[in-house]
Amino acid sequence: MINFSKVSLIYPNSQRTIIEDVSFEVNEGEFVLLMGHTGAGKSSVLRLINGLVPHHTGGILSGSISVAGRSTSTLKPGELADVVGIVGQNPANTFVSDIVEDEIAFSLETLGIAPDVMRKRVEEVLDLLALTPLRRKNISELSGGEQQRVAIAAALVANPKLLLLDEPTSALDPIAAEEVLSILHRLVHDLGLTVILSEHRLERVIQFVDRIILIHGDGSLELGTAEEVMRSSPIAPPLVELARALNMPTIPLSVREFRKLAPRIEIGENVGSSGHNSLGEVLLSINELSAAYEDSQRAYALSKVNLEICAGEIVALMGRNGAGKTTLLKCAVGLAPVIEGQVRVSGKNPAHLEGPDLIKNVGYVPQEPTDLLYGQSILEECALADRDNNVAEGSTLEIYKSLMQMPDLSSHPRDVSEGQRLGLALSIILSAQPPLIVLDEPTRGLDYQAKKTLVQTLKQVAAQQRRAVLISTHDVELVAEVADRVLFLADGELIADGTTAEVLNASPAFAPQVAKALPHTNWITVEEAERYFNAKN
Amino acid sequence: MKTAHIQRSGFHPLFWWVWAVLTSSVVLVLDTTNISMAAIAATLMLAAGFRGSTYWRTSFKWILRLALIAFAFRMLIGFLIGVPMPGKVLFTLPQIQLPEFLVGIRLGGPVTEQRLQSTLKEATLLAALILIFALSNSLSNPHSLLKVLPRRFYSIGLAGVIATSVAPQAVRSISRVRTAKRLRGQPGNGLGSWRRVAIPVLEDSLERSIDLAASLESRGYGYFPKTTRYRAQRWQITDTLGVSGPAYVLIAALMLNPTAALLLGVLFFLLILTPVVAR
Repeated sequence: MINFSKVSLIYPNSQRTIIEDVSFEVNEGEFVLLMGHTGAGKSSVLRLINGLVPHHTGGILSGSISVAGRSTSTLKPGELADVVGIVGQNPANTFVSDIVEDEIAFSLETLGIAPDVMRKRVEEVLDLLALTPLRRKNISELSGGEQQRVAIAAALVANPKLLLLDEPTSALDPIAAEEVLSILHRLVHDLGLTVILSEHRLERVIQFVDRIILIHGDGSLELGTAEEVMRSSPIAPPLVELARALNMPTIPLSVREFRKLAPRIEIGENVGSSGHNSLGEVLLSINELSAAYEDSQRAYALSKVNLEICAGEIVALMGRNGAGKTTLLKCAVGLAPVIEGQVRVSGKNPAHLEGPDLIKNVGYVPQEPTDLLYGQSILEECALADRDNNVAEGSTLEIYKSLMQMPDLSSHPRDVSEGQRLGLALSIILSAQPPLIVLDEPTRGLDYQAKKTLVQTLKQVAAQQRRAVLISTHDVELVAEVADRVLFLADGELIADGTTAEVLNASPAFAPQVAKALPHTNWITVEEAERYFNAKN
Repeated sequence: MKTAHIQRSGFHPLFWWVWAVLTSSVVLVLDTTNISMAAIAATLMLAAGFRGSTYWRTSFKWILRLALIAFAFRMLIGFLIGVPMPGKVLFTLPQIQLPEFLVGIRLGGPVTEQRLQSTLKEATLLAALILIFALSNSLSNPHSLLKVLPRRFYSIGLAGVIATSVAPQAVRSISRVRTAKRLRGQPGNGLGSWRRVAIPVLEDSLERSIDLAASLESRGYGYFPKTTRYRAQRWQITDTLGVSGPAYVLIAALMLNPTAALLLGVLFFLLILTPVVAR
């Protein structure tokens, strides 16, 4: 299906070759995962396959790539549109029409498919992706998961032999992600479609894939069955790490396999628990809060929410796409229109705080950390932040250096990896020393290593500097690692508020892998399990 | 050609552009303050009548501000700079003496009735043209233009779509970046702070446009000789009805004696609103 033969790729003005002298083959009907650290070149490899790299982006390519017997070096991406479908990282940017149905049909219109055939195909794809109830809806009104499904439908409708997806579940909640992945799984098995997808959250995809391409980032890559690659891969989901910690002979890829192989472990209590931080004064208190979406005055995003967050505590906010998480976070910085109720940050109403007063009380890292950045280099950005935050020169830079191991200070903030951008935005917010820090969906596009750094930083901020952290995320494993308490929002109402283990284990879809793999324990992280086994040995 | 039996909602993708070209032609041909004012009033009424919730339409609010700024700036320039005009002096601004070789041009000085009139005429004309095209830009989804443009000119079409979609996308980015400015603790709306807003907004818009172009490219837009339609995009009777108002006035204006302009103005104001009837 796909044949890479001695392929090398380098971008102009770049020192690093993305891949060097790489050869591999992907057969028809395979489900392949592309993984690697952020910035290793996953998107580049995906886009090489349909020719967007180098035809659209530029770059120097040597070697030959053929897809379904056609060579991509002579054909433009458009000429491969009938065999390759691609779903980009950010589907919202790629839509051409307003209406779901029209968007799906657009792919067929450009290919010149006869109208009666087109009508039938659109119906089929609508059914396949469960989009029929949404067919006449405006795409901008759909949730992230629904938009992702529309993008997949638009790529599938042309009957491609190969489907490429760039982080299809990174913006989705666990349930929506599961839906999308099981649809892909079905397509591979029923239609013999070849699927290649890149993803950071391995725990979501690894059980579905046949083979893995691991991009090392130094120009080489490794291709093998999921089990082979997972045996030694530096990047691994919690389940694999747990299996490695238990020295299991085969590496299980799904919870089911793990349970078949693993010894039954039954413990009631946490062993050597990390011990909860003692809580300080109340930093955020929300009282009977109802609020609206920012752009509409009619729909209620939140209704009658009550909560308190104290110094020294990390609270995770979870819930499905569109449950009102972002609105709640925005209320904490006075950005969302409050209909009734009270929001108090250190006793003050955040909506009335302006400029330096606001950032001294609460810091907010938005979903797109890039929004916060406008400097032309990381160095300039840090200097600007020192001035904005009215702190000693160099203090933002110091925080940034402590977060990032290899800070590349002269780069433009838009050119560095997602993890570095988040680190930069976080440093800017932290340098103002606010007692309350709010993060909206920080792990999108972050690899395990970047996530580990984030977890360490947040824990330190909460425990040592006695601040409070409120973090909204879909990433169950991150919540298990970092949070003391979990709040669960559903349809604008707060439906659960309890310790992390309590809330996560209550719902199967939101349970972390360790809890699913070892259901008779109270563990939610690999670390807890490791501590137990180390103590036992 | 047999297409899906799905009713198209609203107007043809080119409708508002045809309307804009006709209406602005009327304003340019007649070129009086009254006609420009009528066009401004009608455009505002149409904007109010067709206001919806999709984000393409929010760009109008911003271009309205732009039109106001352009109007105010043109008035100011008209008062300050230019050749002296005779007539009744309304008020006098302090005059700055210019060097000898710039004879005939003045900076400041008396503002006469005639100057006020000519400045007002040009400023309203400018505002009217901005608003007319702003309305057509914000009421039609630039992306839908892609479907009606001939495929042979696809790269021109693509460039056009990217150009026309920058404004609405920039509006969306502006609100995000302004929020971010607040989050970084920057008060005020000074000139320096706008530079900080402008850079991320431009970068953001560019990124979106590149994404869109990549999407079109990989979906084969413009590569296949024959294209088909899922939904009928034909120019319909409602579209013709909708543009008939400005079209009629334009023909009349080209044929009639310009002294009938006042009567024509009233007619124009009523007929320019034909999209409301056609809807």
